[in-house]
Amino acid sequence: MATTKTGTVRFRDLETGLWLLEADDGQTYLLAGGDRKIKKDGARISADGDVDAESPTLGMVGPRFVVKQYRFL
Amino acid sequence: MRPTLPVVAALSTLFLLAGCQRETAEAVALASLERPDIDEAAQPDDVAFHVPEVVVVDFLDGTTKAEFDAIEQEWGLDLELAGEEEGVDSAITVGTFQGDVDALLARIRTNAKVEAAEPLMRFSRSFVPNDPAYGKQWNLKMINMPKAWDRSKGKGVVVAVLDTGVAFEDHDDFRQVPDLKGTKFVEGYDFVNKDRHANDDHGHGTHVAGTIAQATNNAEGVAGVAFEAAIMPVKVLDHFGGGTSADIADAIRWAADHGANVINMSLGGGGRSAVMEKAVDYARKKGVVVVCAAGNGGRGIVEYPAAYPGSVAVAAVGPGGQRAPYSSWGKELDVAAPGGDKRQGEEAGIIQNTIDPEDVSQAVYASYQGTSMATPHVAGVAALLFAAGAKNPDQVEKALFASAHPPKGATGWTDQYGHGVIDAEAALQALKKLQGASDVSELLPTEVQVAQAEPELEASDISAFAYGALDWKPFAFAAAMLAFVLLTLGRKERPGYLNVFASPGFLIPLALTTMGVFFVRWVAPAGELSTSFTLPIPDWLNKIIFGRGSLANPLVYSALVPTVLSLIAIKVKGMRQAVGGVALGFAGILAYTVWAKAPALSWLPFTFLAIPWLAVNALICLFVARAMLKRETA
Repeated sequence: MATTKTGTVRFRDLETGLWLLEADDGQTYLLAGGDRKIKKDGARISADGDVDAESPTLGMVGPRFVVKQYRFL
Repeated sequence: MRPTLPVVAALSTLFLLAGCQRETAEAVALASLERPDIDEAAQPDDVAFHVPEVVVVDFLDGTTKAEFDAIEQEWGLDLELAGEEEGVDSAITVGTFQGDVDALLARIRTNAKVEAAEPLMRFSRSFVPNDPAYGKQWNLKMINMPKAWDRSKGKGVVVAVLDTGVAFEDHDDFRQVPDLKGTKFVEGYDFVNKDRHANDDHGHGTHVAGTIAQATNNAEGVAGVAFEAAIMPVKVLDHFGGGTSADIADAIRWAADHGANVINMSLGGGGRSAVMEKAVDYARKKGVVVVCAAGNGGRGIVEYPAAYPGSVAVAAVGPGGQRAPYSSWGKELDVAAPGGDKRQGEEAGIIQNTIDPEDVSQAVYASYQGTSMATPHVAGVAALLFAAGAKNPDQVEKALFASAHPPKGATGWTDQYGHGVIDAEAALQALKKLQGASDVSELLPTEVQVAQAEPELEASDISAFAYGALDWKPFAFAAAMLAFVLLTLGRKERPGYLNVFASPGFLIPLALTTMGVFFVRWVAPAGELSTSFTLPIPDWLNKIIFGRGSLANPLVYSALVPTVLSLIAIKVKGMRQAVGGVALGFAGILAYTVWAKAPALSWLPFTFLAIPWLAVNALICLFVARAMLKRETA
């Protein structure tokens, strides 16, 4: 479902390299969608997107957050 | 006498309940073959490599045959020079001696002419692959690979890799990575793009496939665990590394139907999916070992599909054998395997040949860490076990679990490491032991074999027949409920608080139902018969009707037995006290099971139904018990 999340973008050297959103709600999301500029370790962002808690991934760190649009804070 | 009729009726009801499975149960009762004690899987032991009754004596260089011939007479053995071509100068001799070799050697060593004397040892050098970067693969040494390769390399086994695909062929703009040249492949499928070319457009799946069956001893790159096994590339994750449960479930069934013996799923997350769970179950029933990553959340939750009962859940450890910080853990965990811990540097990851995730047209040797990297080690060893003759997933899993090394200080299963870090060599030895036993059982009727192959893989199962610890808790629950029942009865209806307990007609059925004939364990050696006596009646019923190791049957663990008995007791007043004891005992066991959150009931479609089922039935039992204990107020 569509939602807005704020949090910190993190790169984790796990598997082939994972980009995560450590959201202020305490949940860690596997980032998906957005453009490549979102890949900025430590950047604070606010993003609109969909939480996908159903799809299995190779990351296995938490639900996917499919970013529709975002801005750096 | 009249009362026998209803009893016969009750018994026949029970056997009706057992239905067609009764035959198997009887067969099990007849076959008292002990299962192998794979706890004692042979450990590599130096003595095993001694050649019996043969000693080597090294005389001072230059000692002639005439000289040692003269000396050897006092020792009572005939020594000959070991190798003609070495010449007499080395004066190394070999002789045969029957008797106490150690004492003989001690005597020989006291002679001034002797440099050294010891038992003859046979050395067999383990296979060492010539892959140039093999030395960096600490992970393969950790699971005792070099020795295991002497026994099995996975020949003839198919391992399906359900992942982002595998760089296995030159097709379109995809290129095979160099260190998969020579690896065997069988036809796979791309469930993302719906075609026959399950190539990798990410880099994850190729790395995982490499751990399983990287081309080995080809003077290129690195080695793989089961390098003579064939890889079935199955693409279920897209180029971002995500997939759908529907695709994955399809792929599991497809792989099982197309000849896979092992399925590797280095993926997880998302919710519990009944579709995927059924697919895992389907594959396992077809004889496929399903191996899955526990997850990278670093928390006490094993992700699906690893958490499904049919899959082997794998945690990751670093080079020191400690659980890696990212590795998930929990009650569904089965084993641990090397997955890397790059806090200790890049070389502490798992290195395989793959395509560069940042530029998929380039082949690289990449060092990754993750439970994804741990999982294929287990899949690879499963392939070695199948190639060495394992007949079904039960045998593979039993050999894997029994031979795994628990962390220091632990002896069995832990929620951080499962049964422990896998050991390929020890697993192959454990399989041999298992098979030694099953070869005998092949002479038995099929249903016995099936019943023997079926039991759940509980740690307690491995030690065949042993007394469980006396569990008095169900009895305590029953006693507490008795107090409750008595309090709810009016003064005139109440049989008296202590009178009930003092009456054997009540107390004995109650104890039998909750604790079995518990004192048998103190007087009789453990065996199939004696251990079944110590089971509480519901456990015992479940065992004789459905076979050892089967899941608890909801009809056995219900108010059915007390209710049927109480119907008889309506006519036969003398039975009432005893039926009250049984009913209260059932109530105690059911309530205890709820309290322990332990129910694993077969048939019930959802586990969340198990607790309400037990609770409701416990209440019915209580009601029955109350009715039975109530005194007639004439």
